[in-house]
Amino acid sequence: MGTLIAIRLRNAAALLVLATLLCFTLVVSAPGNVAVLIAELRTPKATFEQVRAVETELGLNDPLVVRYGNWLGGALQGDLGVSYKTGDHIGPTLGSRLPVTFTLVAGGACFAMLLSFALGFVGALWPGRFGDAFTRITALLGASMPSFFVGALLIYFFAVKLRLFPTFGSAGFSSWILPWITIGLLPAAVLSRVVRVGLEEAMAMPFALTAAAKGLSRRASLFRHALPNIAPTYINALGAQSGLMVVGAVVVEPLFALKGVSDFFLQGVLFRDFMVVQACLLIFLTFFIIVNLIADIGIMFTDPKLRRQGGAGT
Amino acid sequence: MTAPLLQARNLSVDLFTVRSALRPVDDVSYSVGQGETLAIVGESGSGKTVLNFAPIGLMPTGVVTDLHGSLRFEDIELVGLPAARMRRIRGGRIGTIFQDPMSALNPALRIGRQIAEVAELHLGMTSVQAEARALDLLKLVRMSDPESRLRQYPHELSGGLRQRAMIAIAVAAEPKLLIADEPTTALDVTVQAQIIALLKDLQKRLDTAIVLITHDMGVVASIASKVAVMYAGRIVEYGSVDQVLLEPRHPYSTGLIAALPRPEDKAGTLFRGLPGAPPIMGAPQPGCPFAPRCPLVVDYCTDVRPPLAPAPTGSAAACHVVNDVPHREMAHA
Ligand SMILES: Nc1ncnc2c1ncn2[C@@H]1O[C@H](COP(=O)(O)OP(=O)(O)OP(=O)(O)O)[C@@H](O)[C@H]1O
Ligand SMILES: [Mg+2]
Repeated sequence: MGTLIAIRLRNAAALLVLATLLCFTLVVSAPGNVAVLIAELRTPKATFEQVRAVETELGLNDPLVVRYGNWLGGALQGDLGVSYKTGDHIGPTLGSRLPVTFTLVAGGACFAMLLSFALGFVGALWPGRFGDAFTRITALLGASMPSFFVGALLIYFFAVKLRLFPTFGSAGFSSWILPWITIGLLPAAVLSRVVRVGLEEAMAMPFALTAAAKGLSRRASLFRHALPNIAPTYINALGAQSGLMVVGAVVVEPLFALKGVSDFFLQGVLFRDFMVVQACLLIFLTFFIIVNLIADIGIMFTDPKLRRQGGAGT
Repeated sequence: MTAPLLQARNLSVDLFTVRSALRPVDDVSYSVGQGETLAIVGESGSGKTVLNFAPIGLMPTGVVTDLHGSLRFEDIELVGLPAARMRRIRGGRIGTIFQDPMSALNPALRIGRQIAEVAELHLGMTSVQAEARALDLLKLVRMSDPESRLRQYPHELSGGLRQRAMIAIAVAAEPKLLIADEPTTALDVTVQAQIIALLKDLQKRLDTAIVLITHDMGVVASIASKVAVMYAGRIVEYGSVDQVLLEPRHPYSTGLIAALPRPEDKAGTLFRGLPGAPPIMGAPQPGCPFAPRCPLVVDYCTDVRPPLAPAPTGSAAACHVVNDVPHREMAHA
């Protein structure tokens, strides 16, 4: 298994390099003269010389390879360039916004896991009954309602009507609950189907009959025999859904006035601030790659056939 | 004489799926004494699996069964037994071995866990005690290198070892009755003999009764004390191994045994099959289901159902003709 993990790590590293190339290309090929933009940002009526000075300062006349190297070197040290719009350094801004998005996505993923197991097990424990139909419909609704709509509904009922939670802002744990639900509902809906269908398939396998022959109840068979069999599929789907949650955050962060990376990204897009877009994209892609790496390794640990490959490990 | 361990009286099973309703087991009676082995033989689809697994609630999901008649195990009537009580018997006093040990074992769990689970459930052991018991059981079923087998997964074992693991699961709680559904069919010929030898050995040690479903007459001869021959959901012949194998009475068993390859056959001898095909099961038929293929058939065979009549000598056969010689003479007259 050690070798399998090494292969996964190498692939992830290669993907990261690709991601940086992609982000770099985005800014290089962006329309408009960056130097002019920045020079005008500094002095409203910039002269030709001032623009030239900005060009040399930013190294815009260097060959592309050198520019890529400089940018990558800076990025590795947390220097992601300067916002075209505000002239602020992007690195520190991102640093303060990252924990917000991380809390949102991690909490949303936890909520999605809890809800998906609850819904999936209710359906699998009482197949064809009311609970099964109810969870099916919940999943369908959860998967088809856009998150801005869900968020708006939640804010209306729980924050405005019932005054249980704050409508926006970060005031401790309670202010996170509505955003977590909003961002986690769609993944929960998708994952609950993974649980429900996976359990049903596992219970139709001959080994489920063996479990019954041992005298296990249906519930015990589901937990002890079917559940370990759906683990690899579930982790795979969870990885994909967690990656997608960053996209969900683009809607959820502005909705709850959360100053996260996705909100920053949205501003960057709106103001054609390519440096910001680039920096956020780099963060997103890195996140995707890391989440997938973790999921791959998780799958390896839960699938006995993969676990024993490569000879290492017990 | 004490009561037999397992006794079926006029047991029928109706089976319903989304697509079909049929009676794969129709009015069968048999018994198995403690430590005894009953072999059940018959063509594919004759109802052997349904007969043994439907009454203990072991049908695949999506299949509903309806039982009639009686099946007593020890002092318990299994027909109509509540599911919770049936669960306590399954895996405890009745062990089960399936045909394909690969699919019958859980691919995601270690062998040791799958065996230990039974000891936890039926012997009330802690998980540490149960692991120790699993190790003993692997030794009992003569697995090589039992310590490391405990930690392996099913896909890491050969077919024969998997079936040994399955047997260890089945005997983990020292059952009084072992139901084995074609336990050697999926295995190599050399391994088949080892598994049968193991079952015989375990039977002697644990004094377990075995109901063995098989197609293999060699297996029947080597392990069984009694034989029931099934045809289209009915037992058509029932008697001791010697009676049924050496002097079969029912024309179906006669044909079945005559169809076996013999040592004196020259290589390339044509397979001596029974002519015709078994009936498609559906609604119960009034007469003898074998009539369309029977060499001895007489006119009332298709109308009157032949009872499984015990003969003064030899096995019981459900056949008008062989049971009722005067009738036969009349028919030939
Ligand atoms: N799960 C099922 N769904 C539908 N019909 C079934 C099912 N299991 C058994 N049957 C039907 O019941 C009848 C008896 O089947 P059974 O499996 O008991 O035969 P068998 O004697 O065990 O055959 P084999 O030697 O092939 O195992 C068959 O006609 C079969 O079509
Ligand atoms: Mg069968």
